[in-house]
Parts: sequence; structure tokens; C-alpha cells
Amino acid sequence: MRVLIVEDEKPLRDSIVEQLQQAGFNVDAAADGEEGLYCGREYALDLAVIDLGLPKLNGMELIKKLRAEGKSYPVLILTARDRWQDKVEGLQAGADDYLAKPFHFEELLARMQALLRRSGGWAQPVLRCGAVSLDPRTQEVTVNGRRVDLTSFEYRILEYLIHRAGEVISKGELTERLYAQDFDRDSNTIEVFIGRLRRKLDPDDSIKPIETLRGRGYRFALQRESAA
Amino acid sequence: MGPHSLSTRLLASVSILLVLFFGITIAALDFAFRRVTEQAMHDRLEAQMLALISASEEDSSGGLQPATEKTEERLKNPGSGLYGEILRSDGYPSWRSNSLTGTGLDFAVQLPPGQRQYRQLHRGDGSPVRALSRSIAWQFDNGVTRTFIYSVAEDLEPYYAQLNRFRGQLFGWFGLLMLLLLGALAFLLRRLLTPLRRIEREIEEIEAGRMTELGSGYPRELLGVTTNLNALLRGERERLARYRNTLGNLAHSFKTPLAVMRNLLNGTQGRDLAVGRQLDEQVGRMDDIVKYQLKRAAASGGTSLGTAPIDVRTALEALRAALLKVYADRGIECELVVAPDCLFAGDRDDLTEVAGNLADNAFKWSHGKVRLTADRLTDPTARRDGLRLIVEDDGPGIPPDERSRVLDRGTRLDERVSGQGIGLSVVRELAQLNGGTIRIDESPLGGARIEIRFPAT
Repeated sequence: MRVLIVEDEKPLRDSIVEQLQQAGFNVDAAADGEEGLYCGREYALDLAVIDLGLPKLNGMELIKKLRAEGKSYPVLILTARDRWQDKVEGLQAGADDYLAKPFHFEELLARMQALLRRSGGWAQPVLRCGAVSLDPRTQEVTVNGRRVDLTSFEYRILEYLIHRAGEVISKGELTERLYAQDFDRDSNTIEVFIGRLRRKLDPDDSIKPIETLRGRGYRFALQRESAA
Repeated sequence: MGPHSLSTRLLASVSILLVLFFGITIAALDFAFRRVTEQAMHDRLEAQMLALISASEEDSSGGLQPATEKTEERLKNPGSGLYGEILRSDGYPSWRSNSLTGTGLDFAVQLPPGQRQYRQLHRGDGSPVRALSRSIAWQFDNGVTRTFIYSVAEDLEPYYAQLNRFRGQLFGWFGLLMLLLLGALAFLLRRLLTPLRRIEREIEEIEAGRMTELGSGYPRELLGVTTNLNALLRGERERLARYRNTLGNLAHSFKTPLAVMRNLLNGTQGRDLAVGRQLDEQVGRMDDIVKYQLKRAAASGGTSLGTAPIDVRTALEALRAALLKVYADRGIECELVVAPDCLFAGDRDDLTEVAGNLADNAFKWSHGKVRLTADRLTDPTARRDGLRLIVEDDGPGIPPDERSRVLDRGTRLDERVSGQGIGLSVVRELAQLNGGTIRIDESPLGGARIEIRFPAT
């Protein structure tokens, strides 16, 4: 999952970025509104966290511009002013949720996960597809109730695929959303990880969770349960 | 216009002055007219007297009487209004005019020779006459001199009638003149006071929020008042905007470090700190204090001159849409019932803050149903309708014994416990600053019912 943090206060930004990376996100960070606008336009994002009080271009304007350009990923606003008028205006401008400063990182993470889940069309906190279930809050994956141990990167690929279960996702998109910018972008790596995932989730090749569509990408093929 | 309006006062004073002025004029004219007519009557009596004397001739009994052919016609006709008498010195009349017949008029006069006297006498029926008597010495042809008293009199009725006609005309004309003057004055006053009435009307418009300031084109004498009032209105609005901006900056510059501290405490280095939890609690307390005080300070307090009243439906619909977005996961059903033409005569931020805190609480506690209701509070004596705002949910509600405590939370900072929430106490403060009241009840939905009343003003 690739997220953008637009926050002008460096210690806060660094701290959020660090904790989000630990939580398995591919994080971009911007220090002001204009930089935020550039990142929001250019990168393939799954979510943006935007502070309202930004230099150069304030958060409200930034959200309006991104929405006007057709960017539909969820946006969470951070606000220090904590006035309802600001919250209402922010949500009207196109944000999806707000969080008042100072916040606990766990709260931010929970709100982000909820927004991501909703944008993937999931109504319940635990994502279930056939025999496979994934809980983003605990990063626990089970197949038919049996716990599966995944590495951090395997988990990130699976989480992304399940989030968008049913959709075809190209290798390029996976690379862009999951790798940090300076990571080695060899598409063979993705194939290797997909192969490992298949073996871990489906050792006896019975449920076939991940489909390969030649030349187009991958699809998580199991039927969603309790999809919204 | 009230009983003490400027024009009423002025009209009343001028009326009193006019009545005084015209009264004195009328009295003076009346006095002068009476003098003139009285003088004219005296002159007439004098002339009749002389005519009577010159017409007199001796009679056989040694008395005097006027020659019939030389006698004034009126003296011959009974009740003609002109009377005459010649009295001998022994008190017996030498001659009485025919006109005296049946009048009961008695001259009954005694005068030393050479004297004359004007008197007011009365006929037998009580009607007044003016009389002139004169005592003269008459030398007879035989050389004897005797004294005679001549008297002539004239009815006063025609005189009074003339006086009354004159007075009637006098009062009529002056009354008409006074009415004309008062009418002209009232008209002038209306014209003169038009700009003041315009100010009054425009201030009403400003109070109702339909205008932001007074218009232009006032006369020079009022320009000082109107331009200063406009400056005051603008200054007040700008001051509030500037003040809020400053508070916003203050909040931002204060809360960002708090956010940094909280994140550091929860980060990799902070998580293992022994006092991490206590520090985090203190951060929460500081946040609550700042939040509470800034929200109170940013309230406009109902000074809403020159700002349009807020359309409650629009404001609540925006809030409802925002909350439905935030609480999308919970699948909450939010009913919005707003009476037509529901307006809030105050600041948009205050209304949104009050409704936002209440509705957020309702969404937070609800099991699936929230209802926002707004209607008007009318009062025939008030200029503007009030507003009643009700927020209900189907959550657990607030037990009766906790209700007052919930509202007071936050008023004493040292009693505060972090994380308890300051929403309702902020709502109470904001409602009170806008002249409103708050009431916590139980909703038919099953949860809390919070009612805010902003009375009509």
C-alpha cells in the first residue's frame, strides 16, 4: 500500500513515516502543499494523509485540487484547529475522515486501514475470500483457520491483492505501490514472491487463490465474503 | 413612532407656543376692537345728546321738550333701542321719549350743573343699555334760568352681537392659520427626519442580517454618525475574523509540538520509556485544556450585527453529510428534520460547533439511529425568531444523576480527567454565549436527547 504524508512539521512527519514503514506501508512524504500536490498527482497512491495547516498551499486547497483532477484515493485530514466548521469544510472539499492533533499513532493507523478497506469495497475489518482471511489490524493471515506465516513483503503483496480481490493487477502496479522508490524494481522479484505466496497459502494446490493472466498481471481469484 | 419621538415632542412644544402666541394676539385684538366700538358708541350718544339739546324748546308748563319735527325718528318708536329723557331739577321728567314705553328703563340720575356721566343701565328685562347724562342750565325767554338733566341711551345688544361676530371671525381665521402652520411644520419635520428614519430602518436590516452596513447619501450632519457606525461594524467583523485566525495559528503552533511529543512517545525510542504512559497522559491533558479554552475563546458570543442569519438546513445538511462520511462503517441512519425558514441569528462557526459536537456524540454512541431536529421558537413581541435544536440517538443515553456533571466537565480544569471528552461542556458554553440553554433528556429513540434553545430576540 502506497501512502502520502503531507505534514510541514519535520519531527512529526519523520515519526509518522517511520512508524508507517514499520507497519508495512510504502510511504511518500511531502513538507508543504505544493510538494504534496506534486506527489499526489504523480504517484500511484492508495491513500493520502494531509495536514490542513500547510505552507505554500493549504490542505483544504490541496484536497480540492487533487479531487478536481480526478484523484479518488481516500484522504485523511489532520487538523490542529479542531473546529467543526473546518472538519465539515474539509470533508466537503473531498476528504474522507479527519483526525485532530495530537493523535496516537494507533488511532491514525486504524483510521487509515479503515479508509483503505472501504476504498477496496470491504465493509468488515477482517477481509475474507473463500478459505483465506486477512486481518490488517494484526496482519494475521489464515487459510481454513490455519495460520500462515508470511514475511513482511509477502504479506504486503497479499494484502494488496486481497484488498482489490477480483480485479486484475499488473506487475507494474504492484511494483509501484509496494516498493520504496529506491528499491530494485526487477519484475522477476514480484514473480518470485507470488510463487512463494502460492506455496504458503495453497501447499497442495487445491484452492488456487492467485490467478496469473498472461501479459496482464495477477488476480486474487477467491470469492469475497461479506463484501460491501 | 413612540410617544417620546423627536417629532412628537417638537410638535407638542410648537403647538403650546402657537396657542400662547395666538391667545395673546386674540386678546389684544379683542381689547382694541372693544375700545374702538365703545368709543364709536360714545360719539353717537354725544351726537344724539347735542341733537336733543338743539331741538329743545320751551313748553307751556315751564319745561323743555324737543320739537316733534326735529326729533330723531328712533326716539318716537317704542323699543327702537334709542332712548331719551329730559329731567327737571325737581326730579320730574319734563319729557320722555316714546321709545321708553314699556322698557322699564329708569335713568334715575342726579347731577350737579355742567357735569356729564356715562353709565351702564339695565332695562326692565335685564338687557343692558349704555347711557349718557348731562346737566345743563337753560335760560328761558323770560330771563329765568333752570337746570335740566338730559339723558340719552342706546341698547347694547347690537354692540354685543357685533362683538361676538367679530370674535367668531377672529377665532375662525386664527384657528385655521394655526392648523395650517402645524400642518406645514409636521410636513417639514417629516422631511427633516427622513434620514433619521432611514438610519432606523437600515439598522433593523443590519440586525436582521439583510444588510452589512448603512447605505450612503446621508446629509452632512449625519455623515459622522453613519460612517463611524459602519467603521465600527466592519471593525467588529474584521476583529472577530483576525482573532479567530490568531487562535487558529496558536492552536496549530501549540498542538503540532504536542503531536510530535505524542508520536515520539509512541515511537521506537519512546515506547520503552518508563514514564511514557504518564507523559502521554499529560500531553492529553494539555491538549484538552488548549482545546477547551480555544473553543471558548473562538466563540463569537452572538455578536452577529451585519452578518446574514444562517440557514439551519444548509448547515445541518453539510454536517450530516460530513458525519455520514466519517462514520460510513457504522451504517448509521441519520434523520434530519428541519422546519421551513429555520434561521440561526448568529455566527455560522458557533452553530456548526454546537451541532457538530452534539451530532458527533450521537453518532459515537448510537447503535444505528440518530435524529437531528430543528424548528423555530416564535415570540410575537420579538424581532427575530429563536431556534430549537434537538439531537437524539438510540445509544445508552446519559443517566439523570450524571447529566449536570457532564455539562460542568471542563469548567474546573483541575477536576478534569484526560480523555473524558469536553464536547458537552463546550456546547453548553457556546449555547450560553449565544443566549441559549441546554437540556439533557431521554429520547424516544432510547438514547440521549439534547435540546438547545436559542430564544427569540
